Amino acid sequence: MMINAWDVVFFFLAGLILLSALGVVFIRHPVYSALSLLVNLCVTAILYLSLMGAPFIAMVQIIVYAGAIMVFFLFVIMLMNLSKGEYQERTVPWRLLFGVGAAALFAFQIFILAGEWRGVLPPGARGFGVKALSHLIFTRYILAFELVSVLIFVAALGAVALAKKKL
Amino acid sequence: MGVGLFQYTVLSVLVFLLGALGLMVRRNAIIMFLCMELMLNGVNILFMALARSKGTVEGQVIVLFVMAVAAAEAAIGMAIITSFYRSRGGVGVDRADLMKW
Repeated sequence: MMINAWDVVFFFLAGLILLSALGVVFIRHPVYSALSLLVNLCVTAILYLSLMGAPFIAMVQIIVYAGAIMVFFLFVIMLMNLSKGEYQERTVPWRLLFGVGAAALFAFQIFILAGEWRGVLPPGARGFGVKALSHLIFTRYILAFELVSVLIFVAALGAVALAKKKL
Repeated sequence: MGVGLFQYTVLSVLVFLLGALGLMVRRNAIIMFLCMELMLNGVNILFMALARSKGTVEGQVIVLFVMAVAAAEAAIGMAIITSFYRSRGGVGVDRADLMKW
């Protein structure tokens, strides 16, 4: 049996993704938790770049998530100065048990569904360029694209209105 | 055994489940938001894998839209958490125990 190099890359990246996701959930300190999510998103971008052949999505992932959203989260965490007491939350055992049970049930359903989807992905980094993506965005999905811009505009206005001390 | 769509599905489901688990077990509102981003990321991985296996580019378009919605959601969520912190003096969701203030 021959070991494909792309498979090794996949399992390495998948391991990193799962490890950092565990870090997000189980690290107590909010700043470390947010940094763990940052690792998760960056490794996912590497996965898109190396195995999915989607360089544009990988760059957008880095710019939007790592550049905008994570800075935002870290800013709010540091603004609130959650230093003492606030992040020493206790996880009640039955709550954890309920979470694990619900997650296991959901996983069971998804895995039954996933049995139908065994397909083969072509390996390697050859994929779609920006050209095909942008052509599709600006022709077939132009309405959704414009609506997303309206959504972001409204969200920015709403964020300012909500965070103001006195409206 | 080569890596196929099944392995990507497993990865995506596991990331989604870890996000859902975090949403249930953590009590800090900011960490719950981080876990929601984790769930969105898991869904994105599945979209990308499906787009790759079907040979179409439309999954990537959906991923772009999901990212835009995630950005909008993060902005609104952080504004709500800021205002919540100002009125309750903390970000633990146990403090949100009144329907009307």
